[in-house]
Amino acid sequence: MATEGGGEVSDGLLLCYCTMLTVGDLRSACRDGRWPLPDKEPTGKLCTGCLGDLLYLLRAFEREAPA
Amino acid sequence: MSSSPSALLSVTYVEPGYRHVVELVHQRDPDARRRLRSLDLAVYEPEGKLLAEVSIDPAEETLDLAAVTAGPAAGRPRVMAVFDARYDERIFPYRPHHYGFLHREGSSSAPLYYAVGAVLGGVPQRVDNSRINNFETYVFAGGPFAERHALLLGNLARFAPALAQVFAYYGPERVVRDVSLPPKAHTEVTLEPEHGGRRLERVEIKSLFRMATYVTGRRATSGDLVLFDHLFTFFK
Repeated sequence: MATEGGGEVSDGLLLCYCTMLTVGDLRSACRDGRWPLPDKEPTGKLCTGCLGDLLYLLRAFEREAPA
Repeated sequence: MSSSPSALLSVTYVEPGYRHVVELVHQRDPDARRRLRSLDLAVYEPEGKLLAEVSIDPAEETLDLAAVTAGPAAGRPRVMAVFDARYDERIFPYRPHHYGFLHREGSSSAPLYYAVGAVLGGVPQRVDNSRINNFETYVFAGGPFAERHALLLGNLARFAPALAQVFAYYGPERVVRDVSLPPKAHTEVTLEPEHGGRRLERVEIKSLFRMATYVTGRRATSGDLVLFDHLFTFFK
């Protein structure tokens, strides 16, 4: 998956600075049908700063996930 | 408590012509100096393009932000400076705070000391805090010291565009403006000092997710900043 700017989305990128969820954590959880992860449920709900990116990536990873 | 690092992303804006120094950690105990694990600085132009990335030595007490951003900020009215701090929660049970010192070179206006606004993080999962913080407000104190006000607004998202509404209140009247920002873009929204014969009393910002927001006040004649402050959460 690439960003709108054309760069690849790095799995190591920290997505949520409150729960310490990385892009890789979210990608694998979506791929395996495990989202939300038990200890990452508050992602996007605490400081809310990552909520836009969380929704953006959830849509992207759900498209990538096996049917 | 965990020894794994916690994280905080804080934002300020830099304009050329100002002395601008950031205290990396606002120390509270002179006998127990606290340090971050790491601190990275990224600088963005108004359209969201990354201009510079700098690794900061967390052992330093302060950073001369004006000097570090002088190159990227040259020829631009303003750049957005993003601080990515990693810290040990055993040292900072809540979170660290950066503070800024701001003064226009050669100006007779008083210097400003302000808290750098935290945008991502700052409400770690271990802290019980359920405040809604993507609705923010600022109440302007009376007084003629600042004649021109504005809102600085930045989108810290990496992928998602931001749609925000800015509400300026003048007594019973309000003026609403929609603002759209691509990832990492930032802008200045001018706030008219009067509307319908009433002076500007309050400004609010509403968006899906938290944004990097400051209010500014400037002298009409010189343009000197005499107010530079982040907004505050509306609901507590």
